Amino acid sequence: MIVEAGQLALTFAFALSLLLAIIPLYGSFVANQRMLLLAKPLALGQFLFCLLAMLALIYAFRTNDFTVVNVAQNSSSTLPWYYQITASFGSHEGSMLLWVLMLAGWTALVAQFSKALPLLLLGRILGIMGVICVGFIAFSLFMSNPFERSLPFFPVEGRDLNPLLQDFGMILHPPTLYMGYVGFAVAFAFAIAALMGGRFDSVWARWVRPWALAAWLFLTLGIMLGSWWAYNELGWGGWWFWDPVENASFMPWLAGTALIHSLAVTEKRGTFKSWTVLLALAAFALSLVGAFLVRSGVLVSVHSFATDPGRGMYLLVFLLLVVGGSLLLYGMRMNSVRSQARYQLFSREMMLWGNNIFLLTACLIVFLGTLFPLFHKELGLGSISIGEPFFNQMFYYLTIPFALMLGLGPWVRWKQQQFTPLVKPLGLILVAALILALGVLASMQSVQANLALLGMLLGAWVGVSALAEVMLRMRQFGSVTQGLTKLNASHYGMTLAHIGFAVLVIGVAMTKTYTEERDVRMQEGDTATLAGYQFTLVDVYDLDGPNYGGQAAELDVRKDGRYVTHLHAEKRFYRIQRTIMTEAAVHARLSRDLYVSLGEELPGNAWALRIQVKPFVRWIWLGGLLMSLGALLALADKRYRRKTPPATKQEVANA
Amino acid sequence: MRKLFFYVPLALFLLLTVFLLSGLFSDPRERESASLNKALPEFALADLMQPQHIWTPEQLHGETFLLNVWGTWCPTCNAELGYLTELRKQGVKIVGLYYELPRDPTFDAPFSLKALQQDVAQKLQQNGDPYQFNILDLERRLSLDLGVSGAPETFLIDSNGIVRAHHIGDINPQIWRAKLAPLYQQWSQP
Repeated sequence: MIVEAGQLALTFAFALSLLLAIIPLYGSFVANQRMLLLAKPLALGQFLFCLLAMLALIYAFRTNDFTVVNVAQNSSSTLPWYYQITASFGSHEGSMLLWVLMLAGWTALVAQFSKALPLLLLGRILGIMGVICVGFIAFSLFMSNPFERSLPFFPVEGRDLNPLLQDFGMILHPPTLYMGYVGFAVAFAFAIAALMGGRFDSVWARWVRPWALAAWLFLTLGIMLGSWWAYNELGWGGWWFWDPVENASFMPWLAGTALIHSLAVTEKRGTFKSWTVLLALAAFALSLVGAFLVRSGVLVSVHSFATDPGRGMYLLVFLLLVVGGSLLLYGMRMNSVRSQARYQLFSREMMLWGNNIFLLTACLIVFLGTLFPLFHKELGLGSISIGEPFFNQMFYYLTIPFALMLGLGPWVRWKQQQFTPLVKPLGLILVAALILALGVLASMQSVQANLALLGMLLGAWVGVSALAEVMLRMRQFGSVTQGLTKLNASHYGMTLAHIGFAVLVIGVAMTKTYTEERDVRMQEGDTATLAGYQFTLVDVYDLDGPNYGGQAAELDVRKDGRYVTHLHAEKRFYRIQRTIMTEAAVHARLSRDLYVSLGEELPGNAWALRIQVKPFVRWIWLGGLLMSLGALLALADKRYRRKTPPATKQEVANA
Repeated sequence: MRKLFFYVPLALFLLLTVFLLSGLFSDPRERESASLNKALPEFALADLMQPQHIWTPEQLHGETFLLNVWGTWCPTCNAELGYLTELRKQGVKIVGLYYELPRDPTFDAPFSLKALQQDVAQKLQQNGDPYQFNILDLERRLSLDLGVSGAPETFLIDSNGIVRAHHIGDINPQIWRAKLAPLYQQWSQP
């Protein structure tokens, strides 16, 4: 019953999205205020029904209703309750419903929190969100229905959730990532609405900025959580694999990062308009391309969903209509928009332009690296594959000038900057960064000049420069305490995010350089030494979990004879899916991780273990976290909540 | 001119969709085999069950056959044994190329031919034995030379020892009828 109610709710949501896609947009062209006013209740209603549908699906999972195909294939009665809930978005169908829910959620948020927007613009934005909703709800409803039943024949037990997905990270990763992906739909809708109305000014940019920032915040968090999850769950200590699906989330992130920077120029200086609009379109277009790549089976990846050309075809047509249509509109409308602002070669505008160039180059590299095998093959040139070395090398070369510029950028004024006043502070920062980098490296066991030094230096340069800059600005307001409150939240947000980037760069460089790894054969009581740590295997015993069995190993870790920690590594065998999973034991500190995974049983009561010591690996995720926090701070800026009077009837009629 | 400039993103996007569309209808797993229409690479490998016998390419000349890359560790290979056995009964000559997984000296038990022979005999008894004989590719050199990317994979070799087809994935009735049977017919004509 509840499942049918869920199906019905999704159908209602579809009907409402159709109305939302038609009425306010039509109303905006015939200047009908009542039609425009309908946008908000329609958006809220659509969200409500999507929410009911999701709850119905979760209910089906919690009650082990194996007549539902989706439940039977992705859950089991022995699955712990929290994973039964997350299993509801573990499959293609379920994750599509989650995607729809998020999309409707963003639409409702825009409807709720845009009192400052002119009615006409809001109606158009919600209408465009409605068009996107129609596409995705229809896809969920007709092409990948999560509520499909397999009556009259149904299994008595489900096939269980993929053990890879039975992890705490999986509870958080998909919802945050999707919030990010879908969030760029808001910036996209703002851009289209502006293209329709032909109004791009700093007011428009100020309206879009918080939405772009919010989407970027979630996407950053989502990618970071995904990386953390892979590290814990795949059992060999990697944190980024340049897998097509990861790349699919990285591309909108890069475009989105470029967008939030370009929006700053458009808001503050009223220029870069056509560029900003294109980025707003591109960020969401790349989310859609990503969804297509992951769900159509065009690319082979570890975590792509089951392939189905029918679904792929639908998504491709949808992509063509939405992205093709918006780019056509862009081509038709944008040539009438002119930017007047003037600026010199050495100015904040040029620095941000450089930032955009680097970010888009990075995006292009990921794009080509991901799709080149496809191009190559479809052109009849045979199969090739592009792997980690290509991406790593490219990003190595890109990061150096990017980080150098990032340290400089916030110091440079709008319009024009003299070089001489900057020489002294930047020289001091450079010296401080050098001392800091050498100091940290000297504390490591071996000094390796290459990557670690470069990474430390770049990271310290960006970090110190960001801190020094914010201190300087505070002092301009008189005392530091006075400045602390005077400086606006978005400035702190920027500083924090830049420090996050510095932390990330340091983490990557140090982990790459200093990770030590050993495969050992151990019996109970044996001790293995790695990087100054002594790992003693205390005990290995059998496990008995709710839906898995296996073995667990207990280890004691000492350093120079002093007790450090106790580690618990598991090797699980999931009974229903018949797969073996490694649950690595991780002891995390800011300066290093101890990482132990349990391998096969060897003859003679011995076990194979893989032991790793990974310095600074936490910094990678800490960096991502700081960037998201920076975005959160920037979102808290007061100027995004300043009210403008609502549109009068006259304005609507004139538009 | 400036006006056209703003249509560049659209043009690039349309170009992309052409590729995505054609990608949608081609199997991403299908790849051109480098060994196609070339003679079998040189090898001298022991028979799995009678290790004193060494197989070389010349000994395989004279009859068109399927070279099936497999291993007991590979569930799909075990699953296709049944249908392959049926094909053998229909008169198709099938030779097994046993693909042994690489071993980690610290993680895995040392290689034991006896254990492997037992394992293979047991699997073939359970699922059917389609093979005339099995060649043991312990170092995976022949597999590498042939461009094997995993198991199961099957090569069609003609009577002159030339590789005529390379199929990645399992062989089931549908694939046999649609893809391999016509090729097998074509190349087994004298």
